[in-house]
Amino acid sequence: MTVLTVSGLTHDYGEVVALRDLDLEVPSGVTGLVGANGAGKTTMLRLMLGLLHPTSGSMQVLGHDPQGEPLIVRSRIGYMPEGDCLPKDQTAADFVSYAAQLAGMPPREAKRRSSETLYLVGLEEERFRFLGDFSTGMQQRVKLAQAIVHDPDLLLLDEPASGLDPEGRVQMLDLIKRLATFDVNVIVSSHVLTDIEQTCDWVVMLDAGRLLRSGPLQGFEKLGTVLVEVLEHPEEMAALVRARGLEVVVEGRRLMVGPGDEIIEPTVVEAAAAAGAGLVRMIRGSASLEDLFMKEPAS
Amino acid sequence: MTDQVIYDRGYRTYDGPRLGPSGARRAVYKDGVRRVLGLGRKARLKIFPWSLIAIALIAAAVFIGIHWAVGNIEESLREGAPTYGDLFDFYSGISLLFIALAGPQLLAPDRTKGVLSVYFSRPLTVDGYLIAKIGAFATVVGAFYLVPQLVLHIGLALIADEGFLPYLGAHLDILWKVPVTTLAFITLHGAMVFALSSVIDRTGIAAASFLGTLFAGGAIAGRVAEASFPGARFASLLALDHHPRIIRDHLLGDTVEYAPEVAGFEVWVSVLVIVSILVMAAWFVRDRYRRLA
Repeated sequence: MTVLTVSGLTHDYGEVVALRDLDLEVPSGVTGLVGANGAGKTTMLRLMLGLLHPTSGSMQVLGHDPQGEPLIVRSRIGYMPEGDCLPKDQTAADFVSYAAQLAGMPPREAKRRSSETLYLVGLEEERFRFLGDFSTGMQQRVKLAQAIVHDPDLLLLDEPASGLDPEGRVQMLDLIKRLATFDVNVIVSSHVLTDIEQTCDWVVMLDAGRLLRSGPLQGFEKLGTVLVEVLEHPEEMAALVRARGLEVVVEGRRLMVGPGDEIIEPTVVEAAAAAGAGLVRMIRGSASLEDLFMKEPAS
Repeated sequence: MTDQVIYDRGYRTYDGPRLGPSGARRAVYKDGVRRVLGLGRKARLKIFPWSLIAIALIAAAVFIGIHWAVGNIEESLREGAPTYGDLFDFYSGISLLFIALAGPQLLAPDRTKGVLSVYFSRPLTVDGYLIAKIGAFATVVGAFYLVPQLVLHIGLALIADEGFLPYLGAHLDILWKVPVTTLAFITLHGAMVFALSSVIDRTGIAAASFLGTLFAGGAIAGRVAEASFPGARFASLLALDHHPRIIRDHLLGDTVEYAPEVAGFEVWVSVLVIVSILVMAAWFVRDRYRRLA
């Protein structure tokens, strides 16, 4: 199932172009939407909610056009905003129940779901406390609870671990991973790449409104570098590898080849034989998202 | 000792009914009513609204007591004992305080606390949100005006010499005059307080601005209207708080002459002013929230 289909999508705020000619498909599961601040992540989420209209191009969320049918799309989405969104003078139970009713659930059912959801996010004991008395970590959990209370088909999380201490961050990421086990589709927007690596199975990378990459996280991890050690002629071998279109950094008798997929190893073997280099060892290291993101040309 | 097992209820899917946009509007409406009355909030948020409600009800009871003390309603009315129009007059001050509290409470916290981002990620339009808020305001403020009037009406009927039902039958006009007067007050004050609360984030400042606009407008309009330059009398129309009072006097009996009346304007001009302010405020607030969504 495809949760998001984007075709030729451009959105601008006057002279500032937030998203440029984007084409992508996002499958079901947990997807990371990554990019630096100003990359267009929040604009993308607001377009998905039908709160903004694209300048050109089209978008389908769960098979519906959010511009033409915003209320249908929103009734099937749960959204956790990045910023503050909690009324400090309400209890957690009241607010989450209210959020469920805003999504169209009958009041009695909303109350029941509110208790269950606060239990799920670990706030069962605190549910009758006022939100103004909550710590940042607890408030983030309530924000997550209000987003999932109505059992949405798609969950949009905008910087869910923002403002949390390391322990709170780990707990929030664990919660998101736990949601994935219940078959909830999630799109997590974040500029913290390690968070995405820990939680997602599909990654969409944006930079200055342009799509850098979109694909499964496993595919990204395969795009690692390979450490090669040879007996002699490292420079000749490096030249042969470069001639086949791969990047090489030479340090003595060691060569760092890549990043690239499984094409690296046979290329290295061939080049070592041709250069008479004497291959000692070859070790593949997985690339982090940060490595890949930093290697992309700056826009 | 029996083996104890902890069950993790986990995440449960929901296949029950979904009420869509109408359910969302109803939720905003109910929350608005509860917010103005401080229900489900900390105790200090209940003190102000419930104190004002108590004062309004006590005033109605005191009015009934005055009539009962005189002994004859027709006689007491001839002697100038207070009745429906006077009750409006009596609590016009506390009703302004109530409105100054209710309007900002309904709009400002949602905006300042970022809750609008939750509202507009749900099946709720800007118009639906505002209509629900206006409905909550009209319900609570309308009840604030009408319940003491109802208490007074029933109280007078109970002590009437001619008996309960004959009194009610002889005063059927009250059943439309009081609601129409209430509508005039709520429309003008509601439009003003919503417009101000849509741009002022602090509830206290929004309330003070509302009261200040009414009082300062009345004072300035009164002075300018007395000036001798051509068209000066039109300044009397800026005494906004006088317009619903003119409608009240027209329906429930004259008490005093207000600035627009002194300047020679008929009651329909006051109706026109109230409707104009309503239309302008509705356009302004809607435009503001469409930008915020």
